Amino acid sequence: MGQPSGLITEANQLQTYECDGLTNFRTVPDAVLLPRNTEEVQAIVRICAKHGIPFVARGSGTGLSGGALPAKGGIVISFARMNRILEIDIPNQRVVVEPGVINAHVTDAVAPYGYFYAPDPSSQSVCSIGGNVAENAGGAHCLKYGFTTTHVLGLDVVLPSGELVTFGSAVPDAPGYDLTGIFVGSEGTLGVATKIVLRIVKRPETVQVLLAAFDTIHAAAQAVSDIIAAGMLPAALEMMDRLSAMASEAAVHPNYPVCEALLLVELDGPEAEVAAQMLEATALCRQNGAWEVRVAQTADARALIWKGRKAAFAAVGRISPNYIVQDGVIPRTALPEVLEDVGRLAAEVRLRVANVFHAGDGNLHPLVLYDRAVPGQEAIALDLSERILHLCVDHGGSITGEHGVGKEKQQAMGYMFSEPDLDTMQLVRQAFDPQNIANPDKLFPRPRLCGEKTGPYTPHPLETAGIAEFF
Amino acid sequence: MGSTLSNIDGLRALFSSDCIAERGSQMVVSPRTTEELAAVARYANTNRLAIEIAGAGTKRGWGNPVRAQIVLKTTGLAGVRHHSWQDLTATVGAGTAWATMQRALAVHNQQVALDPLWPETATVGGIVATNDSGALRLRYGSLRDLIIGMTIVLADGTIAKSGGKVVKNVAGYDLHKLMTGAFGTLGVIAEVTFRLHPISHHVASYTVSASEVARLKPLMHAVGASHLLAEGLQLRGTSHGFDLDIQLGAHPDSKQGEVLRHMAEREGLEVESTSNEVWQAREALFAQPDRLILKATTLPTEVPDFALKVAERGGEFVVQSLGIMYAAFPSDELSLKLAEEFRHHIGRQGGTTFVLARPLSAPDAETWAITIEGDLPEAHGLMREIKRRFDPNRTLNPGRFIGGI
Repeated sequence: MGQPSGLITEANQLQTYECDGLTNFRTVPDAVLLPRNTEEVQAIVRICAKHGIPFVARGSGTGLSGGALPAKGGIVISFARMNRILEIDIPNQRVVVEPGVINAHVTDAVAPYGYFYAPDPSSQSVCSIGGNVAENAGGAHCLKYGFTTTHVLGLDVVLPSGELVTFGSAVPDAPGYDLTGIFVGSEGTLGVATKIVLRIVKRPETVQVLLAAFDTIHAAAQAVSDIIAAGMLPAALEMMDRLSAMASEAAVHPNYPVCEALLLVELDGPEAEVAAQMLEATALCRQNGAWEVRVAQTADARALIWKGRKAAFAAVGRISPNYIVQDGVIPRTALPEVLEDVGRLAAEVRLRVANVFHAGDGNLHPLVLYDRAVPGQEAIALDLSERILHLCVDHGGSITGEHGVGKEKQQAMGYMFSEPDLDTMQLVRQAFDPQNIANPDKLFPRPRLCGEKTGPYTPHPLETAGIAEFF
Repeated sequence: MGSTLSNIDGLRALFSSDCIAERGSQMVVSPRTTEELAAVARYANTNRLAIEIAGAGTKRGWGNPVRAQIVLKTTGLAGVRHHSWQDLTATVGAGTAWATMQRALAVHNQQVALDPLWPETATVGGIVATNDSGALRLRYGSLRDLIIGMTIVLADGTIAKSGGKVVKNVAGYDLHKLMTGAFGTLGVIAEVTFRLHPISHHVASYTVSASEVARLKPLMHAVGASHLLAEGLQLRGTSHGFDLDIQLGAHPDSKQGEVLRHMAEREGLEVESTSNEVWQAREALFAQPDRLILKATTLPTEVPDFALKVAERGGEFVVQSLGIMYAAFPSDELSLKLAEEFRHHIGRQGGTTFVLARPLSAPDAETWAITIEGDLPEAHGLMREIKRRFDPNRTLNPGRFIGGI
């Protein structure tokens, strides 16, 4: 390396890297390296390849599935020092970044020109583009704007052999297999990105948010379906149940009405278009029994409504000593049925589940509330959490909408996919990483020795410090 | 040769006579289910026979020609299996004709927001395998943004699924992205699940003409940087110069047509309302006989200069979505040299060029390899390795893909 300061081997410093946002899995790495450029990344990976040392790349460590958890006997490649925005090309609507660049900094850099970077995971003020690429990060606005994969045109990747290759390019449809498409969301198992070409998007002319209060989840869900059926594609469609709305109200006082189901609808686009759609959306909410509908007219009112939604996750911490967060996805139409089932499963084991979700795309974030101090309750909560994921799969959904499989949901992959499906994915893995050193023992199920248990939620230090919110 | 023939004959035992037929020295098989498709692949793979995959056959001239003993027709795998309109998703058999699918989805005023070539005949599987897309990708993206799940059959008969039936899903590798545009060299697409979009209620098309492309350049840039809800955008070469077509999809109250008029006036240009037929321009390029079709991609800012270069060399062209060009030239040696020249020219700016299609009758119809070995994509070694893992016997469309994959 030639940079003594780029190498961490001291035990107490290594501990910082023993976990990511999923804090109940911990492994102290043997070393942490902080390269400054692609050549150094290549040098590190070549050494790993030569000696069969497992490695994992790490951005800000905010992931929620253990994606950046080190392997035993492995090293961490931290991208903290590779955080430069290399190129801003407004006429071509592209930005080239190093992987350590913070998500929100991309938008900051292009905002003066009227553009933004669309994927907005709620940790966007701290999470890195490299991590976003690994997890194919989403956010509240991906119903309309798509995911990280929609916005990555190309990348430079150091393969697990140490070879440096370019996937895609600054223009779409490069000849050859869509390696960019397979790499984004591969959770660090196919190599390490060192340079990323991103697409940026023109900021919409206007944004409006509607808040509606319903007496039942069912009525709110029907309103969502009607809005979609009317041909609208809202920028965001969010729902909270009584428990999570109450928790938010107590935490940040967004002045939410007390109701069984709270719906937030964000529309953006040309002013006349948004105005017309807002009238229609309001009518559809009323038709479905909304007894209060508010349209936030100002940026401040809009921010307050969103503040409550974004705080929901952490706010639940105030009403329960411990909780587990899940990330399952269901077809939107299955929402009332699945929530009913979740309620029934929870009642059977006498636990509470708070529901906060991206209603537009069916991404649930059920929060299983429990008290670790009560003997046996944690095991019951973990079991309930797993059964909720299975419920999502049974309804034709997915075990993860944006947090990734990582370490946490390895076994659940085996519930969602058949052996031939997983074997086929492994063909890709083997082509990229025949030595199995790139973030090994993640994403794919392990031999079924022990039943999978996903972990309870423990606040990340960044969250406790009030720097980041996760949901 | 005799043993190969008897090998092929073995296929007969697996299928009823109405879905298998001899055509010259080839056996044409039309499986009706994914399981039957898997049986064909498994049989071919075990007996070291090559398979050429075909849907309606509209794009058989794309990519390198394939020499195979078996032609696998996917047209029997047709039909919209599932349209969950409230979830904006649909699952469709790969052999379904594109327009047939769209008509079924339109019952609920929905669509797969893509405008591929020859929609009445071209199949979903063929369109996905060749990653075809038209002008609509400006607003909705290309197939990689619209496909959320897929069922594929590997060379050894393995039936595998990736993705699912939900729009938001990050579980596992996106195999469906790897299959999109792979020209059937990694697996046979059996079923595709799409995310859907509502059909736009208020679509209007406009054309701005200029004798010199330089005059359109500022307007192209302004449209790209504006708040116009442009569904499609294309630049065409015409007998009188250059036409810029714009399709707007905003609510009439937004008066975006007026906004566009003002933007054009500022550049001293005139906007004319036009029919939706202008969006058939890409098909018209392919309609002429004995043409070599180049596909070139450029950065949006490079589009006008490159268009001029192509026009000067006698090429007819359409550029869609600010940077994807299709250009037609006579199918001859001179055109191949031109392609090489273009490739070097725009390659320096991050763009790409390759021969997308040549007439089936063209001699030496190696299409991708206008490149010399050293000019293959950097990741070509990895691409070969992926092929080797998925299809070690080179059973599926051998040689069809770039660099002879």
